[in-house]
This record gives sequence, structure tokens and C-alpha cells, in this order.
Amino acid sequence: MEKVIILRYAEIYLKGKNRGFFEKALENNLQRAIKDIPCELVRQNGRYLVRSFAEEDAETLVEKLKKVFGIHSISVGMETNSDLESILEGAKLVCRPNGTFKVESHRGDKSYPLTSVEISKKLGGMLLATFPKLEVDVHTPDVVVRVDIREHGKAFVFGDVQEGANGMPVGTAGKGLLLLSGGIDSPVAGYMMAKRGMKVDCLHFHSYPYTNMQAKEKVVELAHILSQYTCGTTLYTVSVTHIQEAIHEKCKPQFMITLLRRFMYRIAERHALKLGGQCIITGESLGQVASQTIEGMTSSNSVVEKLPVLRPLVGFDKNEIIDRSLAMGAYETSILPFEDCCTVFLPDFPAIRPKLDEIAKEEAKLDVEGLIEEAFQSVEKIKI
Amino acid sequence: MIYLDNAATTKPSVSAFDKARVFVTERYFNPSALYNEGFALQSELKKARSALLSPVADESAFELIFTSCGTEADNQAIFSFARRGNVVTTAGEHSAVFAAFAELKNRGAVETRIAPLNKDGSVDVDALCALVDNKTSLVSVMHVNNELGSINDVNDIAKRVKQINPRVIFHVDGVQAYGKLAFRLAKEIDAYSISAHKIGGLKGVGALIKRKSLQIAPYIIGGGQESGKRSGTENVFGIMQFAYAAQEKFLLLRQDYARLKDYRERLWELLDKDVYTRISPENGTPYILTVAAAGLRGEVLLHMANDKGLIIGTGSACSSNAKSRYSKAVIACGYDEKTADGVLRISFSNETTQEEIERAAAILNDIGNDLKRRMQ
Repeated sequence: MEKVIILRYAEIYLKGKNRGFFEKALENNLQRAIKDIPCELVRQNGRYLVRSFAEEDAETLVEKLKKVFGIHSISVGMETNSDLESILEGAKLVCRPNGTFKVESHRGDKSYPLTSVEISKKLGGMLLATFPKLEVDVHTPDVVVRVDIREHGKAFVFGDVQEGANGMPVGTAGKGLLLLSGGIDSPVAGYMMAKRGMKVDCLHFHSYPYTNMQAKEKVVELAHILSQYTCGTTLYTVSVTHIQEAIHEKCKPQFMITLLRRFMYRIAERHALKLGGQCIITGESLGQVASQTIEGMTSSNSVVEKLPVLRPLVGFDKNEIIDRSLAMGAYETSILPFEDCCTVFLPDFPAIRPKLDEIAKEEAKLDVEGLIEEAFQSVEKIKI
Repeated sequence: MIYLDNAATTKPSVSAFDKARVFVTERYFNPSALYNEGFALQSELKKARSALLSPVADESAFELIFTSCGTEADNQAIFSFARRGNVVTTAGEHSAVFAAFAELKNRGAVETRIAPLNKDGSVDVDALCALVDNKTSLVSVMHVNNELGSINDVNDIAKRVKQINPRVIFHVDGVQAYGKLAFRLAKEIDAYSISAHKIGGLKGVGALIKRKSLQIAPYIIGGGQESGKRSGTENVFGIMQFAYAAQEKFLLLRQDYARLKDYRERLWELLDKDVYTRISPENGTPYILTVAAAGLRGEVLLHMANDKGLIIGTGSACSSNAKSRYSKAVIACGYDEKTADGVLRISFSNETTQEEIERAAAILNDIGNDLKRRMQ
């Protein structure tokens, strides 16, 4: 008898002939997630098993595995021989000595001499005999003892079924470049795309010396948190200080944000193409701030020529985004009070519905190409 | 690189470090041990204690308890002495004191009262005395303000407070004053906190000087070190290095004071008055010159200076939370937010040179004008 962690697929089930590709990707991602803990990962009949780990590591392993996209559910249980006495030994560890319980059984091995119902009945009886204070409750039991009879004379006995991260394995749906600010939204946007299997790299714009080192450290920390879900990531930082100064010097103040965002999108697209990225990902949500109106989005979108801009949060309320941020463990870091983009040049009244011809007129005052080239000189790469 | 953020921390004294080295390489024993080598360290610690205490206090009336930092010394004093009624402090205190008072307020056992500051950053003594009554158990006043360099005449304030209520315990946060100002503790002062790393010692060493007759409630209990007032094996190397560094400082204290006063005034003379306003008072510590570049952000100037090889401080760190962004003490002196946002603290040590002052002034003028132009 051995303690094991059972991992079940999510959507990969729906895949046909290319299922192997997804399974392989998932296996690599799982290996990567638990590489620091001594254990063994094996694929077995449409599921993965983690075994040969120290008892003390079980919880840590589950936490790490819960962050791997492509896993539907996770159970910690015992792998036993499939005779009822062995199963009982495992069930004793899953069940409690008092309170209520029921047994649910499943036969993967249809040649097993008992039916599922018979297994449940017999094992239930044996547990009642072992724990005299235990009672059966098939409707709302305190504990459900689940038995899964596998091939080769083995069985799994487990209690809880914990939900996995679901989604698709990262690396099976292309690569995108996430515009990562220090806020709440962008890490969630990265999470959402990784959930659908996309590999995510990050691009952060800073305005040093107007922003500080803590702000940058915060973004590095957010990238770290995100990387637990994205199977690693690379963070690129670019200075937009001179761009902001040029806009401040030459253009109408209400266009600061609109113009700056157009620069950011241009830089993002060029950088994404360099990295072999296939889209730009942003954390924009319609109407959340002045620059995220449909007019604002149109204005920034219109400078992106080749790649789609994906906005996985576009229809989310702030509360929904915060819930996801909390769930992925980024919220506490996101709300640290360091300014991530220059607020020194912020206009009192930004243009909320900027018109493209007005924007073009303002932008014509700037050496767009020269400023972008200069910004690219400041690129820093941080492997997370 | 020019380092002018010595109020944050000083470069450790290398000569003191060399003298203390033997306490790492050979005399590494536990001072509580019974064999000769361990026991001998007790007398070394005693010498260190005396070297640190005698320059500022009468050894027959005061004792010195080693702690891990100035903050611990402040906390130890405040939580020991804030017993009942009300407790009084000033709006200029370092957070080691201010946050401890906020905690007392949270706990609700005593009433906390905060005395306002004068425009020069010193405490308004009349207003402070007006807050003291026969129910006051503790008054805590900093000796030198860490953000502005203003000096409070703590001996005089203690006398005045004790005239109102002789049972008050009077504590002083002396972290920015010890080893930098010439003074002796008056008998009206009950406790005085100091820190090693502000005068060439190492981080991780501080002390609470207190009147011997005064009982404290130890925070850290255990092996009974420091006469049971602060358990934990003594940081022998750190303490010895602190004592040696302090000896060096006290030896040259008056010369350093006079020289740095000249440097501070020279720096102010060189600074562009179109950019910078002086916040530090002339009668403040010569170790600190605080200026404000109103309309500019201090932290941006800090980064720009950093890029040019000059390290200085600001009033406090940048944060998008407006309340915490501005220098607390500067606001308490009555300056507006625009001024408080542009605060720079330039602080010196005995190692600061005239040439560094001249170069620092040039850099500060350069970046101040540069940023002003960019922000227009």
C-alpha cells in the first residue's frame, strides 16, 4: 500500500487523434511543477499518478499540481491490492472512526468478481465492523470513501476530490506577449490565456526615474506568481520615460495616456514578433478607466498591424477580476502601493473618447520611429 | 560614488571592525560560559558598556542594556513605561516610537497625546507641556529629528515636564544624536535609545540607556543575559565594534561637529535657490541638510542623483498612497504637500569630504534644473 496523488485530465478527453500531443505537453508541465520535490510521475490509463513521495510533501505537491492547467481533479489516496482486505486497510486511512460515511465504487477492471454495488456494500460493512461509532448516510455523509478498481490487481482508495486548474496544457495553444503592469488586471489576463494553453511572456513598461525600484520588483514578483501557472515566463522591461517626456513637451496634455498607449502597443507588437509571439494580451476591461473605452481601444488597436490583441477580461467586472486575482494569489502583490507608470505627467482630465484624426494630429508632432527605437535600447530581459 | 545618506546608515568603521575582529576569529566564546575564555568576555562587554555609557551619562546613575537595534530600544522603553493614564509624544517621531504609540492607542489601555512641531521641526515645548498632567505616565521626545535634523533640548524639556508631574517617565529616542552631539543626560531623563549603525557601527546592535532604579518589563526572556532585562546570547563582535566605533566618534566629536557645520552651510550656499528651499534649521544637527524642491518629486530626484553617482535620501518612500508619500515630519511642520513631495535629505558622516560636498552640489543643481525643465 502506498500513498499516491491521482490526477485526472480536463478537456484533453475531448481530443481525438492528437491527444498524445496534449498528454505529452501536460506531462512535461506536471514534471516541471513538481521538479523540486522528490517523487515519481507516471501516466496510467488516462490519468497521472504521483508516487514515491514523502508523507510531509503531499500537501505541497497538491498545491503545486493545482496550478497546472489541463488537470480536472486531484485526489490524495492509497494505492492497494484489489482484494477487499487490502482495500479496507486503505479505507481505514481515508475514513474517520466516527460520524457518517458512504462508499462509492467504480470498476475500471470489469473482470473484477464483484460489481460496484457489491464492493460498496461489502466494504461499508467491513468499515462499520472496524469503527463501531461510524454510521452510514448515503445522502449527506461526512466522508465519502471512493474505491476505484484498476487493472493488474490494483485499486485506489481515496476521499476528497479536489478541483484542478482545468483548461488546456500550457504550450499547446501558441505564444502571446502579455502587457504586464503592476496592477490587478494584467496578471489575471495572463492567467486566463495560459488556462487555454497559451505560453505567455511578459512585457512591462516603466518610467524610471519617475517610477522606482520597488515598482519594478513588484512586477518581477507578479511575473513569478504568474509563472507558476504559465510554466515559466520571461519578463521584458522597456523604459517609456523619454516617450512620456516628449509627449509632455509637445502634445496636448489630455492625450498623454492615449498617445502613450499607442507607443506601448507598437513596441509590444514589434517585440512580440521578434520573440515569435502570435498575439498581444492585455488586461483591459471595457469602460474600466478612461483609456479602456471602445474609442480608447480603437485608438490603440489601430497601430497594431499584424497581430491580434486579445483582451480576455474585456467583459469582466472589477469584482470578478479581483476574485480571480485572489484565487491565483496575485492580489496581495498587485495592491502594493508602488506606482508602476508615471503619475507625474498624468493630466487632470484625460481624453475619454479620443478621435483618431485628433490623435494623428497630436502624434504628428512626435518622432514616433525615433522614440520607439530609443525605447528598444532600454529592453531588459529577466528570466523568471 | 558619493554617499550622503548617513542618517539612514553609516559606513561601518573599518578600524573598529579590525579591532573587534579577534572576537570572531579567536574569542568567539559564549560570554555566559563558565570556562575562563567565556567568562573573560564578560569583562570585555563591561568595558564596552562603559565606553558607550560614560561619554553621555553618569555611570553611577545610569545603566546600558544592549538590544538588537534602536527600534527595539524604543519599543522596550515605551511598552515598559506606558502603564496608565496618558502618554505623550511628538508629531516628529521616528516610526519606531510613533508606531509604538499607535499600537498603545489600538490596545486602548492608555490615552495617547501627540504634541505639534514648530516650523523648524523641533517640538512645540509649551504645547507638549500643556498635554502633560498628573495622569501622564510616559513622555517620549526624540533628541534629533531624523528627517529635518532639528534638535530638541531634551534635558530642558525633561525638567519642565517633571515640574508638572515628577512621576512621568521621560524617554528620548537619541538615535540621530548619540555620538554626534555633545551632551550629558540630565537626571530628569529616564531612558535614552541609541543605535550602532548611525555612527560607524553595524546593523543589528542598539542599546537602551536607562536610570538604574527604573524597572523594565523585558520583552525577551530566556537565559537572563543583560541582568535579565534582555535575554539572548550577546552579539559580542557587534557590541565590541560599536564600542570601538563610538570611542572614535566621541574623540573627534567637537571637530567633526564644527567641520560638518561648515560643510552643511557650504552645500546650502552652493545649491540653486530657484530649485531648492531649505527645510533644516540652522541650529539643527550639522549631520543633516534637508531641502525641498517644491513642485518636483523628491524620489525622482533621488533616482536621477543615483544615476549620477550621488546617493541621498528623501523624506520617505514613494507610494501612490498620498498620505504616506509625503514626509510626515515635514507636513507636521506646516509645509504644504507640494513641498513635502519634493523633500531631499542629504546627510553626512565624519568621512564626508569637502570635495564630495562640492560635487554633490553640482549634481543636485544639475538634476534639479533638468527635472524642472522636463516637467515644464
